[in-house]
Amino acid sequence: MLRGLLAPVGSSVLLLGNEAIARGAIEAGIGFAAAYPGTPSTEIIESLARVASKLGIHVEWSTNEKVAFEAAYGAAISGVRSLVAMKHVGVNVAADPLMSSAYTGVEAGFVIVSADDPNMWSSQNEQDNRFYGLHAFIPVFESYCPGEVKDLTKYAFDFSEKMRHPVILRSTTRLSHVRGTVVFGEVPKIKVKGKFSKDPSRWTVIPAHARKLRLKLLDKWNAIKEAVNEVPFNKLENYDSNILIIASGIAYGYVKDSLKMLDLDGNINVLKISTPVPIPEKLTLKALESADKVLIVEELEPIVELEVKKLAFDHRLDVEIYGKDIVPQMGELTIDRVAEAIAKFAGVSIMPPAELKLNIEIPLRPPTFCPGCPHRASFIELKRALAQLKIKEAIYCGDIGCYSLGVLQPLEAQDIIIEMGGSIGVANGLAHATNQMPIAVMGDSTFYHACIPGLINSIYNESPMLVVVLDNRITAMTGHQPHPGTGLRASGEKSRKILPEDIAQGVGVHYIDVADPYNVDEAINKIKRAINYVKDKRKIALIVMRRACSLLIGMIARRKGIESPKYMVDVEKCRACGICYDQFGCPAIYPREDGKAVINEQLCTGCSVCAQLCPFNAIILAKKAGEEWEKLYLEGE
Amino acid sequence: MKTFNLVLCGVGGQGLITLGRIIGNAAIIHGTGVLISEVHGMAQRGGSVIVHVRLGEPESPLIPKGRADAMLCLELLEACRNLIYANNRTIIVANRRIIRPSIPGVKLPSIQEILSEMEKIKLNVKVVEAQKLALKAGAPLSENVVMLGALLSTKMLDEYLRVEDVERAIRSIFPEKIAEVNIKALHLGLKYKQHQS
Repeated sequence: MLRGLLAPVGSSVLLLGNEAIARGAIEAGIGFAAAYPGTPSTEIIESLARVASKLGIHVEWSTNEKVAFEAAYGAAISGVRSLVAMKHVGVNVAADPLMSSAYTGVEAGFVIVSADDPNMWSSQNEQDNRFYGLHAFIPVFESYCPGEVKDLTKYAFDFSEKMRHPVILRSTTRLSHVRGTVVFGEVPKIKVKGKFSKDPSRWTVIPAHARKLRLKLLDKWNAIKEAVNEVPFNKLENYDSNILIIASGIAYGYVKDSLKMLDLDGNINVLKISTPVPIPEKLTLKALESADKVLIVEELEPIVELEVKKLAFDHRLDVEIYGKDIVPQMGELTIDRVAEAIAKFAGVSIMPPAELKLNIEIPLRPPTFCPGCPHRASFIELKRALAQLKIKEAIYCGDIGCYSLGVLQPLEAQDIIIEMGGSIGVANGLAHATNQMPIAVMGDSTFYHACIPGLINSIYNESPMLVVVLDNRITAMTGHQPHPGTGLRASGEKSRKILPEDIAQGVGVHYIDVADPYNVDEAINKIKRAINYVKDKRKIALIVMRRACSLLIGMIARRKGIESPKYMVDVEKCRACGICYDQFGCPAIYPREDGKAVINEQLCTGCSVCAQLCPFNAIILAKKAGEEWEKLYLEGE
Repeated sequence: MKTFNLVLCGVGGQGLITLGRIIGNAAIIHGTGVLISEVHGMAQRGGSVIVHVRLGEPESPLIPKGRADAMLCLELLEACRNLIYANNRTIIVANRRIIRPSIPGVKLPSIQEILSEMEKIKLNVKVVEAQKLALKAGAPLSENVVMLGALLSTKMLDEYLRVEDVERAIRSIFPEKIAEVNIKALHLGLKYKQHQS
């Protein structure tokens, strides 16, 4: 009754912003959707995939954002409405086709969702992708709450199709991952098959064509600038005030709540902007006409501010304009930050709340590998193998995924992390430019995403390195999406399994091995052999550490009623050395007052790695595994 | 309608996001406006988790500092960490439990120290033995719902949602068997005072 993207028309449903975007796309009649998972964008495709077969539409997890973009573009130029979703940094991966798509335009509505991450909750930077709109000549839409973004998504498809041009819908963490009430509208008849009409002068961007397309693009941009004046989501709230606040996207919500908090609601004019690129110039000029001073509130970079200042300059307007000189540029906005800026701008005072402070020190709580996580075991084995071979000059070239957490205490086994696929790419440089041994560590999903060209490069250019693929059978960090190695597609049907070791063999890696991180001694020996090969032959060696994600297996096992084994501590034998809880760092193990270890039975997944690491054999099996347990873990399904 | 600000906090894996969904669905059933803000990705990996729940007519998703009407704290260190949202009138419903952060050699305050420090600065704290009650309900993972029951027993949410709305929300989210133990946990939470030693 309350759930699901296919509830009846008129239902009020609690949806995440991302699910609201998915519902908006359904109400726009999309026939195609693609993405590579990435926080905070993942649930758009995840929720569409759940209803894909019911709607008869194609929804896929693609191998990376560039492929996802190209696939969705392929549908849109054939007359099928399509959506592609990615996190902000994913747009960098897809930037090449993005730029060209503005030159060619599209036939059916094409919406590119960019989910940005102000404050870097789960990202390496907080780039503001509205800049891509200015850079590529693609209009950008943004909203402030789940209820509105559903309708805005639908509108963006219509706008895109009317202009025959791609559209960027920009979300942020505090929209994508906010739940709110969404009222469902009609679902039209869906078009899932189109027809591509050949026209090389439009669809092939060779220089001779691209020059003509570029001129057309500049003309089209003028038409788009005109058209955004008609977008009903842009609106002026006029209270006959001579001061004005311009708020773009989610900033509108913070401005409204801040004005209420400051008792200024209804005393200051507010221009709500839903098309930050390009801004609606006519509406903005109307708002500026009666204003003596203006505050522009937007998250991250001063994009609307740039455009408004240009507009005011071109029209010789005598108006004071404030923006990033008052509103913080870094991090996400909050009511506190916006209210402080408005108070300063409007010259009113604001009382900070009395601070409640306890006289105790509260330790930090960084995220950590889950109990039973095979990555934790792999890192310990890698470190022990290097120590046993007395190699001090190794560099851990890390990558993006759960295993990025390996940078933290107690493992501290990620020296470089820059972007998806960066592990093996950077190792290619280190292999030649240093005398240290590069160890490229990446997850399975990341391997398919961007590591394969780097792998080929290392063979072509003879870059000696150890490549470690941490294969937990799934894209784990974003919430368990299948990938080409899983054997499943987005909406659950079976697919061929494409394994990292087969790819390595295909591209010509000569030393390939597969190890089970739950088998500590054997894994250490296999890693040592691979390292010796790199050292002696000065060539690449690749080892796949394979065990399914323990978080996922725990959930499947609970559902299927398969019991996991449990381990316990023999208090007589325990010498309180702390290896299990401090060096290995499993959160299911903690110290008693005397330093001896205790295992929390609810958290223990029965991986047995702590028992293998204990030098005093003090960790013993308390409960045997149910049947099927081992199979579940090795196959991950 | 005044906006009601409710902070949910605890440790990744304690069911905070599910708790937010239950409250959100209950609000919709009651006809109350709601915005719930979560952070994904880290939520299942043992880190600090905070969920902002705003009921009434909120326009934006985050609770301002010092403006929480209530806080539901599933773990005591996290309760302490999030006191920036509280004031002396905030009702703080706190689970009597500390979960050790997995940092080598970490030093922890005791439950008693935390509670007496909270008393010193005159916080309005209601302590619940949620682990015990969840086990009693036959569902060790239902501490989150026990805590919600304890909050509902204060009646401060009555204008926004009622116990029967929460029951319906639980039934709409979970399969039948799991829903029933959770509703049992909810009612043990509602009568938490009777069950505490």
